[in-house]
Amino acid sequence: MPHTFAGRRWVRWTTFLARQILGWTLIVAGALKLPWPESSVQAVRAYQLLPFDLTRPVGYALPVIEVVIGLLLVIGLFTRIAAWLGVAVMAAFVIGIAWVWAHGLSIDCGCFGGGGEVENGMAQYPWDIARDVGLMACGVWAGLFPRSPLSTDTRLFGDPIDIPTEELEESTA
Amino acid sequence: MSESRREALRRKQQAQARAKRTQRIVIVGAIVLAVVVLGVFGTIFISQLNKGGGSPSGSSAIPPNATADRSGIIVNPGKATQGAPTVELFFDYQCPICKQFEGAFGPTLSNMADKGEINLVYRTLTFMDGNLRNDSSTKAGIAAACADNAGAYSAYHNAVFAGQPASEGQGYTTQQLRVDFPATAGITGDALSAFQACYDSRATASFVDGTNEAGAKAGVTSTPTLRVNGTTIDNATISKAGTPEAFRQLVLSTKGNG
Repeated sequence: MPHTFAGRRWVRWTTFLARQILGWTLIVAGALKLPWPESSVQAVRAYQLLPFDLTRPVGYALPVIEVVIGLLLVIGLFTRIAAWLGVAVMAAFVIGIAWVWAHGLSIDCGCFGGGGEVENGMAQYPWDIARDVGLMACGVWAGLFPRSPLSTDTRLFGDPIDIPTEELEESTA
Repeated sequence: MSESRREALRRKQQAQARAKRTQRIVIVGAIVLAVVVLGVFGTIFISQLNKGGGSPSGSSAIPPNATADRSGIIVNPGKATQGAPTVELFFDYQCPICKQFEGAFGPTLSNMADKGEINLVYRTLTFMDGNLRNDSSTKAGIAAACADNAGAYSAYHNAVFAGQPASEGQGYTTQQLRVDFPATAGITGDALSAFQACYDSRATASFVDGTNEAGAKAGVTSTPTLRVNGTTIDNATISKAGTPEAFRQLVLSTKGNG
């Protein structure tokens, strides 16, 4: 076992935990949106960040991408890439919430994403952002230290870092 | 076996192992991408089913008083005096605040439209279907557009808001949309049969899809939204106006950019 930080047992198990938390969250969040892509199109439009014609394809693709990233994280396949993509998705959500908050949208009826009137709508924004930042931290950790127990990466591709150099050292010894 | 030959063999084996690993990564990566593409197409397919089986062949009916660009329906066709401002109301039939707006200022707008002070256009949005996970906004929009054939568009529109369910998300029943609201709007006899045939065949479905799309394209992100010659009067300002007469003055004094 190499004496690097990333190789320590607790680091690997933390990565395992981090990818389970972020992965399952993405799966559930995406699956809830899957049958209603029009509402995710509206949510994308509400940010007014993308050109109008792009909002529909993005709105349709986003829930699917969330679920796929989530599945990859849970089974530990392409962990590093999936983790950073997960971070990107969470970052987009944080920006979205901050945007709505900053614009003081009182979530009166018919604002996109919420589904109608929300009492004390403003009060929940800090919590939403804290939650998403926490999930983002999970993704950053798994992106920095992608090796973890029970991962499909290791099973399918072997250990990405160890193979070439370490085998060499062992056999020459 | 000499040291260098063994070394060379091992290097070869390592290179092969690495190539094999790369190949496996590429194959698995391709499978993942294929899953994403299939998923997106599957989503599009399912959403078409949720919309109520897509658009049947006869669904391209355009209400007689639709605007030229088919983005809405003119409430007072031919009544507006020359130079009267165009007032657009964006709303969703399932939106409770839209109902409140109708209650507070709807009669004033209708009155101004009747007198020809404004050119009043109703623009139907249906995004709350997605928020509320039903299809009531679209159904009510289809029905209201059908009512335009009977010359009862605004009467039907008012009947829908008057009959809005107390709890948001409950949606409208077929009985309400097909029988109760047309009765309130005074659609009877042959006109009623024609209205019901229009509603049953979802004849105005693609028109309503179009008004929703046009509203989103116009940058409307919440309802109700009131625009005078393209300039939005924000809802806080409208609430502050308070009285119907103050609201009327607010509308008439908004210059707009069109």
